[in-house]
Amino acid sequence: MALHVPRAPGFASMLKDGSKFFSGVEEAVVRNISACKEFSGTVASAYGPNGMNKMVINHLEKLFVTNDAATIIRELEVEHPAVKMMILGSQMMEQEVGDGTNFVIILAGALLSEAEELIRMGLKPTEIAEGYELALEKALADLEGLSCGEVKDPRDAKQVAKAVRSAVMSKQYGHEDFLSDLITKACISILPENTSFNVDNVRVCKILGSGLLQSDVVQGMVFKKTVQSNVIKQDKCKIAVYTCPVDQMQTETKGTVLIKTAKELTEFSRGEEELLENQIKAIADSGATVVVSGGKIGDMALHYMNKYNLMGVRLSSKWDIRRLCKSVGATPLPKVTPPTAEELGYADRVYVDELGDTSMVVFRLESAESPLATVVIRGSTDNYMDDIERAIDDGVNTFKGICRDGRLVPGGGATEMELARSVGKFGETLPGLEQYAVKNFATALTAIPRQLAENSGSKGRIAITSLATAHEQGQKNLGVNIDSDSSNVTMDAVENEILDLLMLKHWGLKYAVNAACTILRVDQIIMAKRAGGPKAKPSGPMDADDDE
Amino acid sequence: MQPQILVLKEGTENAQGRQQVISNINACQAIVDAIRTTLGPRGMDKLLVDGKGKATISNDGATIMKLLDIVHPAAKTLVDIAKSQDAEVGDGTTSVVMLAGEFLKQCKPFVEEGVHPRLIIKSFRKATQLAVDKIKELSVKIGEGSGLGDHRGLLMKCAATSMSSKLIHAHKDKFSEIVVDAVQMLDELMPLNMIGIKKVQGGSLEETLLIAGVAFKKTFSYAGFEMQPKSYQKPKIAMLNIELELKAEKDNAEVRVDNVEEYQKIVDAEWDILYQKLDRIHQSGAKVVLSKLPIGDVATQYFADRDMFCAGRVVEEDLNRTMKACGGSIQTTVYDLNDQTLGSCESFEEKQIGGERFNLFTGVPKSQSCTIILRGGAEQFMEETERSLHDAIMIVRRAIKNDAVVAGGGAIEMELSKYLRDYARSIAGKEQLIISAMAKALEIIPRQLCDNAGFDATNILNKLRQKHAQANCWYGVDVLNEDIADNFEQCVWEPAIVKINAITAASEATCLILSVDETVKNPRSGGGDAGGMPMGGMGGGMPMGGMGRGMGRPM
Repeated sequence: MALHVPRAPGFASMLKDGSKFFSGVEEAVVRNISACKEFSGTVASAYGPNGMNKMVINHLEKLFVTNDAATIIRELEVEHPAVKMMILGSQMMEQEVGDGTNFVIILAGALLSEAEELIRMGLKPTEIAEGYELALEKALADLEGLSCGEVKDPRDAKQVAKAVRSAVMSKQYGHEDFLSDLITKACISILPENTSFNVDNVRVCKILGSGLLQSDVVQGMVFKKTVQSNVIKQDKCKIAVYTCPVDQMQTETKGTVLIKTAKELTEFSRGEEELLENQIKAIADSGATVVVSGGKIGDMALHYMNKYNLMGVRLSSKWDIRRLCKSVGATPLPKVTPPTAEELGYADRVYVDELGDTSMVVFRLESAESPLATVVIRGSTDNYMDDIERAIDDGVNTFKGICRDGRLVPGGGATEMELARSVGKFGETLPGLEQYAVKNFATALTAIPRQLAENSGSKGRIAITSLATAHEQGQKNLGVNIDSDSSNVTMDAVENEILDLLMLKHWGLKYAVNAACTILRVDQIIMAKRAGGPKAKPSGPMDADDDE
Repeated sequence: MQPQILVLKEGTENAQGRQQVISNINACQAIVDAIRTTLGPRGMDKLLVDGKGKATISNDGATIMKLLDIVHPAAKTLVDIAKSQDAEVGDGTTSVVMLAGEFLKQCKPFVEEGVHPRLIIKSFRKATQLAVDKIKELSVKIGEGSGLGDHRGLLMKCAATSMSSKLIHAHKDKFSEIVVDAVQMLDELMPLNMIGIKKVQGGSLEETLLIAGVAFKKTFSYAGFEMQPKSYQKPKIAMLNIELELKAEKDNAEVRVDNVEEYQKIVDAEWDILYQKLDRIHQSGAKVVLSKLPIGDVATQYFADRDMFCAGRVVEEDLNRTMKACGGSIQTTVYDLNDQTLGSCESFEEKQIGGERFNLFTGVPKSQSCTIILRGGAEQFMEETERSLHDAIMIVRRAIKNDAVVAGGGAIEMELSKYLRDYARSIAGKEQLIISAMAKALEIIPRQLCDNAGFDATNILNKLRQKHAQANCWYGVDVLNEDIADNFEQCVWEPAIVKINAITAASEATCLILSVDETVKNPRSGGGDAGGMPMGGMGGGMPMGGMGRGMGRPM
């Protein structure tokens, strides 16, 4: 900045009082980088099977105990604009792949901290960003060649379980075999013939008590409800689903029943009763044995349902009704009318069961293929079960990934080390300044195995160096050994069946580099003063499955 | 200096690192200290006064934990496991919290020394699995034909063990009989709400009685009630959900008349409707009429004239129990009254118990329901008795469902402790230390039993260790003689599932707490009222109690 031109008399004074303004490499870029580094440091210790949990209490005072990065960052209320960008990248990952959110943040953090060094060396942030993108291209191309196997048939439980296992392992280390079996069982049972797999079709029902190992998969649906009627068990039942309350009809418009003669008065309520009885009888005659209602089941209706041996279940959530309809193949009826044969759903058994002291209604389908499966999780604390639910979620998402692209790469940091090696080599062939950026990209990739090693209690540096030597010698499946008991810090990921989806790495690299480059390209931050009004909704999509 | 841009929202509290783990452990320790003295037959009770000034006396772990209103996030986990134990088995809630606390205490030195928590967790999970397998292996089947004497006697022993640590241990013989009888009356699902527990102040505990059938307090009644007979043999019972009073036929109905005769007719018609209903009930042959909704004085008089008994505003639960016991079904209309929908029983009577009048239905045909009428002095005392009975009932239910038992009084814990210690010696590495730590932690149960009874815990534990080393696997603390004894012979029995669940839950909680290395607390959002809501909804169901009963409202 030339001396004789004074800095505009306070750019800040042009803005409203209380706004913040930062510019320049030192002020904006480096500051952004250090904030992102700090943030990625927070979640880094949650990475991998040996990652630690975080206890997060959100603004509603709900407690989360988890090492799922997606949950942590969703519940942390991040203010920093640059960090928010990193989070956005990670949230993309959550939507695209459903797993690997932590991978994005750690890698982005590592890329940024490498960039910081280069900036101090004198490189322009834009040059670094370009170099990173170049390196990304190379890495993605190389990644294709690293595939070490493929799940060809998503119905083969053995193969699938192998792939799901690593995803679950990073969430619930020690229970991965049990959980991956559960997930595989649930997923395969509902895999449709030709349409694509929908994550929403694996439901989770959490019931307090007992231990995780008592969890199970139920074909069909489980609700934490009890039935209203006297009948609590039905076999081979036809199901009529109503979205409306099953009760005497009420007029929406305010009306008055006008009674003129004593006869009318005497016959009035009897008439109403008979009407309802006929309705219920018609439902029973249609062959239905179970009635599901989206609203209240009136006393009088219940009475007749008991009389005609109908089982009555009340579900309050619209989503539940929709899912139930899908799973039993019923058409929801908006009005209490007798259902036609096509509108009736079918379940092999509908019954009330008790686990712990929670009673639940089970709609069980025993046919080979049912559109919905429910994983019943048992556990001793709510937080623990929530965490298991997240692990299952990740596992199911991995399965979805398998259906789309079954190629696998070695896990445990092996892929990253191999990419680091090849990208580093590639860097040396470049003539320009981007060489630095590409080489640092390679260094940043080693952050993943290092973090894995450090979280397991071993020395990161030692692990990295021994891995680097091994990969140089062509052992490209070698990764970090997380079993810190043994003296050996490395192991063969393929032999130990630690496999990740290729797709996961692919998108993870992409999003991490994108986030890092976007942050690097920022040179000014202007923050307006926060308005006094009500708090704006947090940016980013709200999760759709939060239906309670 | 430029103003800092905050990474997280202002007001966020953040704590991390090893200190965090240790501080969480300490917090849990404090909770455990609060309830440790309640364990065992010689345990003391706690008096808790809640925000509304309501006093509760209890030594039930789950009740105390719920009332403590803990806010510390890590310590809340302990409340959760107590709840879980309560939900799954219904008893042993104090033990589960004690075990979790002790596991954590034994882990603390390792964490301080820098052992990676994940390693501790892994070893704990392994040790838990071993312990659970061992319990399964050791447990003794008490099902029918197990050669251990009659089934009923065995169940009574389980109930007696559960009650010996409660307020009512002096009367455990009587109560275990009541509890076992009550549970055996139920159908195969054994729904808990089919055992009614009614509390009547006055009298003494010995006067508590079990009624094979249904009993409920006399409901609010109208004029004419006293003229009704109060006892029947083999009556038919009509259970209704109808208001037997003069009332509007429909809320939004309106009557428009244009001449006097028609007006009179309408008035008559209203009476007619009521009389028609009453007539139909009478015609059906029912002698006892129960209704969820009020029965007015016209109806009361009408029934009194025809030698019938009626009770309006019966609590729904009671009516459901009556239905289960006497057969029939609850009717919302009087047009379907017939022999199928009417219930019956051997005898009905109204009886004075203490200061209350009770309607008793006995000799019921289906007998899937029963009622325990508790007598006793202070209100808190009876509430605690009710909780103790609940625990004992749950234990008996569990013992029927899963018919394996182990010896209580610290015997099984000592045996597991020995087993784990032996196992630990067979492996190398850090796991050895941690599994031995868990073995040591298990000893807390017999130790606390001794401490609470005022014995020399070290001495008794030494004796126990010796006995267990000599393969006497059922030796435990003998609280009565300040010694050790073969608790299996002594009939101190607990269902194996209680112990399995306790150890699993305690270990899960321990792992959860150990695995947390950072706590981030976001500031509460502005809309203060939204705060407690989501948590509150998840809380365990309150004990039932006759809340919904309306007061007799004068017309």
